[in-house]
Amino acid sequence: MLEKNPSRRAIVNLLLALPFVPTLLGRPKPPAKEAEAIVEVNGWILKKSDLA
Amino acid sequence: MIFDSYEAFEAAALAPKVVVIGSGPAGITIARKLAAAGITVAILEAGGREYSDESQDFYRGRTVGDPYFDLDITRLRYMGGSSNHWAGWCRVLDAHDFQPKAWAPDTGWPIERKDIEPFLSEVHDILELPEFRADVPISDDMRWVQLIKSPAVRFGEKYADELANSQNIALVLNTSVTELAGDGSKITGTRIWSNGRQAGLLQADYFVVCAGGLENSRLLLWSNQTSNGGVVPHTEALGKYWMEHPTFEGGNAILADYDEFEVDAANEAFFSPSPAAMERLEIMNFGIRLIETPYPGAKRLIADLACSAPDLAEWAAVKLGQHLRCAAQLYVAWEQAPRADNRIELSATDMDQAGVPRIELHWKKSDLERRTILEGLRLFGRTMAEKNLGRVRIDDWLTSGADYPTNQELAGHHHMGGTRMGTDVARSVVDADCKVHAMANLYVGGSSVFCTSGECNPTTTITALACRLGDHLARKIAA
Repeated sequence: MLEKNPSRRAIVNLLLALPFVPTLLGRPKPPAKEAEAIVEVNGWILKKSDLA
Repeated sequence: MIFDSYEAFEAAALAPKVVVIGSGPAGITIARKLAAAGITVAILEAGGREYSDESQDFYRGRTVGDPYFDLDITRLRYMGGSSNHWAGWCRVLDAHDFQPKAWAPDTGWPIERKDIEPFLSEVHDILELPEFRADVPISDDMRWVQLIKSPAVRFGEKYADELANSQNIALVLNTSVTELAGDGSKITGTRIWSNGRQAGLLQADYFVVCAGGLENSRLLLWSNQTSNGGVVPHTEALGKYWMEHPTFEGGNAILADYDEFEVDAANEAFFSPSPAAMERLEIMNFGIRLIETPYPGAKRLIADLACSAPDLAEWAAVKLGQHLRCAAQLYVAWEQAPRADNRIELSATDMDQAGVPRIELHWKKSDLERRTILEGLRLFGRTMAEKNLGRVRIDDWLTSGADYPTNQELAGHHHMGGTRMGTDVARSVVDADCKVHAMANLYVGGSSVFCTSGECNPTTTITALACRLGDHLARKIAA
């Protein structure tokens, strides 16, 4: 797809959709307490839920 | 009165009660305080009314240790001193900065923040500051603090007319002090260098050295050497415990709400740790400067993406014909642990035109400081994540333990320590009144008296301490 020179609208739509990718893939969310735990991944300081 | 040469000053046959060496923020502030009390003062300024390469050449020197700025560009030698290139960033040291840190040797001041607070209203007038707002805790660990970008007062310009019209202040330009002469209990005079030659000994009842955070140590070291210890009888700490505010880009951030923190005109907001967090982690103080890049709409999305997926973001930016960077950059400046090894020495081989040895600055950042920036950014990142304020990424050079980057700011041009304040003569040079230990009439103004540096820019605290010293000296002379 990337070689087909997408329109600006398509790129923006893709970016807007990124946060919902985990949901679309149906990955299970961690338990609420565990989701709040802080982890460091590749320099990022994240909540575990960020990785779901 | 302003004299453009020492010869003109001599011809006026004035007999100042106090000689102040240096016309930067500390020197001019102290002189104005004394003059307001009816005390006559001569301010000796080594440079002229404007910048000149010839004058700056006296400031050349050498640094041993970590990379640092050329010493002749990191301060200015003319009327108004280094206020002439000051950026105008203002904040006063916090109360906890004056307290000792049990995990860091040689921290703690002999005075407290409350000792300079009575002078802060004067400081606001001098530096043309609005009132500071109170710090805002964003967690138990981190505070959103205010650092005011003031109009950057150039002391030489601001007070030129006042000095010219003053009957109590004689500002003497193009007049440097090569050494103070002392007998171990008092200063007997200052040796003057003017027009390329020695110009005699100027006497007064009191002397205040305000030549800057490097030159104060240099002048006292050289004077002590030529006076066989008669200027600073207790030399153990002289020139030592020198400090800077190292500054590096340490990471990026994505913010949940770019309106959460009010930014200043440069799109910057500032954060510092709580005293409890510093104590728990056993780290020094630090300041995080968050710089927002004001991208709207889709550009913001790509900029945020640039923090987490730089390759994808670059592809998207190219497709959109944009050059974007991560939406918020994080710079860290931190408090150096005071260490005697970080010191100013006199060169054994290199002299300036007046025959005074040039500076050899020994300066290195410590392991504690490296831990301070890494743990500090983690602390900030945890707060941002836990409070859902955003997400922080720490740069690879920090997490991998790589060397400090060589293509960044390095430090703040803040020269502190060397003649630090204290009660122990083995670990300090001046007492709580900024008087050199065991000397009856020698005082030091400026950031060389700082015991610790805190995380904030020093000029506001320098000016407050100068008001306090001027007030103290005026009362002492009046008594």
